[in-house]
Amino acid sequence: MPNIQPIRSRYRFEVLSGDQVRAIQDATLEVLDQVGIHIPSPRALDVFAQNGAAIDAERQIVRLAPDLVRQALAQAPRSYTLAGRVPGTELYLDGAATYAGTDGCGTQTVDFDSGVQRPSCKDDVAKMARVSDYLSSVSFYWPMVSAQDFGPLAPLHELDAAFNNTVKHVQSETVMGQASARYAVRMAEVIAGDRARLRANPPFSMLICTIAPLAQDKEGIEAGMVYAEAGVPVGFMAMPNMGATAPAVPGGALVVGNAEVVAAMVLMQLVAPGAPVFYSLLASVMDPHTADYIVAIPEKYLCNAAAVQLAHDWGVPVLAGAFGMDAAEPATWELGRDSVYTALMVPLAGADMITGGGMLKASTLLVPEQLIYDDEIYHTHRVLLEGIETSAEALAVDVIQAVGPRGHYLGQRHTRRHLRDIWIPALTHPRPAAPDHAQTDIRCRAKAQLDRILAEHQPEPLERAAQDELRAILEAARQESGA
Amino acid sequence: MSDELYDKLCQSVVDGEPEEAAELAQMALDQGLDPLDCINRGLTPGIDRVGELFATGDYYLPDLIIGGDAMKAALAVLEPALTQGRERQIVARVVLGTVQGDLHEIGKTLVGTMLTANGFQVTDIGVDKPASEFVAAVKDSGSTLVGASALLTTTMLHQQDVIEALKEAGLRDKVKVMVGGAPITETWADKIGADGYAEDAISAVALAKKLVSG
Ligand code: B1M
Repeated sequence: MPNIQPIRSRYRFEVLSGDQVRAIQDATLEVLDQVGIHIPSPRALDVFAQNGAAIDAERQIVRLAPDLVRQALAQAPRSYTLAGRVPGTELYLDGAATYAGTDGCGTQTVDFDSGVQRPSCKDDVAKMARVSDYLSSVSFYWPMVSAQDFGPLAPLHELDAAFNNTVKHVQSETVMGQASARYAVRMAEVIAGDRARLRANPPFSMLICTIAPLAQDKEGIEAGMVYAEAGVPVGFMAMPNMGATAPAVPGGALVVGNAEVVAAMVLMQLVAPGAPVFYSLLASVMDPHTADYIVAIPEKYLCNAAAVQLAHDWGVPVLAGAFGMDAAEPATWELGRDSVYTALMVPLAGADMITGGGMLKASTLLVPEQLIYDDEIYHTHRVLLEGIETSAEALAVDVIQAVGPRGHYLGQRHTRRHLRDIWIPALTHPRPAAPDHAQTDIRCRAKAQLDRILAEHQPEPLERAAQDELRAILEAARQESGA
Repeated sequence: MSDELYDKLCQSVVDGEPEEAAELAQMALDQGLDPLDCINRGLTPGIDRVGELFATGDYYLPDLIIGGDAMKAALAVLEPALTQGRERQIVARVVLGTVQGDLHEIGKTLVGTMLTANGFQVTDIGVDKPASEFVAAVKDSGSTLVGASALLTTTMLHQQDVIEALKEAGLRDKVKVMVGGAPITETWADKIGADGYAEDAISAVALAKKLVSG
């Protein structure tokens, strides 16, 4: 049975009041109506024009009236299911749980054996899919690094490596352009079984970045339309950076990012009414001296949580950022501090999905055992947010009476039953027989756990015929691209 | 009187006040001051001071950029008045852009800002630019240096296209090419036949200086 433990938070944390949500939504509608969005795609411009949007064809700017936005988004489903390739991997995006995925699209890997940093490759995507298949903190898999050994076909090879090495849902952030998107849809059909099943239980979804400020990427938005038509859930992520690609105020950054994501989601609804879409907004602050995107800073955590409210106000699921921090080294004070805030705030706010596990240096460096550390922080949060039970069994007055003053609870059946329910952090409290038990250095323990998973865990294999079909699709893509 | 005006020009750049800088420049011309003296004794010390304050961390990037804007605003007034033989010294002309298919703007812009602050004349052609536009900009501006930025492993291949296009246009031996961006390495730069690679904006300036002097 696939191993997935989502977070079910008992609490709901709201960064924005209702009035503040309204103020941001109204400002966003004003920007969409008055300033517009740059959309450099003839096809997208046509769709907008047919639906009554104001188009400046020369500048490729679309301006959207508030009614058009509201009517289009009213068609987007609030709840739907993401599936894996076997039963038991379903993720119900219905507001009741937060599902976590890995980070993705890194360019460098700390080698699994030598520990030396090198360019990433397809085998890294495969290995990390296997580790993700094992870890219960990972509900869905983003190909963690680029398959740089496959040149322009890398994105499709990343999917191949992912589908072959985990039964869990796969989400990509790299398959762009209409031609590649069509191949990705075909691969997803193979995994789902057929076209109808792909729609009903999609084992694949897509995340596309919008371009701050107030623009879309041609390849991204055109791929988005292909996915929406095929029923593949498609999300849009804005990354406004305060001071660089957004005003240097959190509110303004939310308005810019919100406008980008909303415009893209509206387009999807116009192309394929009712298409499953999701929302993502990761605003952060520019380093005032280097212009870097600072990944760990309170304004970003606040905006991440605010974005959850904005998405739900539009009536769509949300993917929020967690983990994926600046630090260059695992197991440091810096990384601990930062991971805790990002990863705790967003499930508290009610995010449907979160991503970011396993990567350092602002989502560019894969340190394989980082996923083990993040797994442990994730479970700490999962337990924190589940809160405290107060049923009769949970208050255990009968057991307290039975033991009375002094003595101990070691021999109680109640203890035996419930101690097993308590999640024990394995990195700091390893089992006696665990291969890492003798290690005192936390880094060695994490590496030993990773090595054990890689040595022992084999996900349910993809059927032979499906493997062959994926290979044939990759070959067709190769021939078409002339690579 | 003229010294006071040079100081004010200098200060308008340090304070990042483009309108004031342009007004002061006009005032200087009206008073019959030499435009080259205004540049060398007013604007240049101003932008140098901005650079120092940025280097020590006292200034943030917007201070640097708006300081540069003030300098440009004053130059727009002063340069047309320069007489033959008394032109402003620039280190070199540079064409800078992000390659085709790539929309990452900030790193490239920062490199451009730092080059400008260090005396280069930068033609920033923007993002998502095909190789042909780099070539056209080199021809238009008479640049001797080309900088191509790429942030994606899928678009870094286009840095090579820029180099090939320069060769085809018969310009390769007239310009130096530098490359940069998050996935770029020295090895990659060597592989595609670039003249140099810089990891960040500060080293990009050092590299640019080295390339145009050698
Ligand atoms: C000529 O000589 C030189 C010399 C030095 C040069 C130089 C030229 N150019 C740069 N340098 C050097 O000097 C600069 C100053 O020190 C430095 O420039 P940098 O640009 O590195 O640094 C800047 C000052 C600050 N850095 C940045 O601004 C980039 C930060 C990260 C987080 C980033 C951002 C912000 C964005 N992104 Co993008 N983005 C990432 C980046 C991850 C990262 N940490 O690098 C990266 C690069 N993005 C990535 C991806 C995948 C994507 N992005 C995309 C979009 C975006 C945004 C639009 C959201 C936004 C850019 C906004 C904008 N208007 O610029 C998409 C592509 C769009 C496109 N067609 O270009 C999209 C494909 C995502 C999607 N699913 O749609 C990843 C690339 C992975 C890969 N395999 O290549 C990525 C590493 C993040 C990740 N892990 O996912 C040096 O590199």
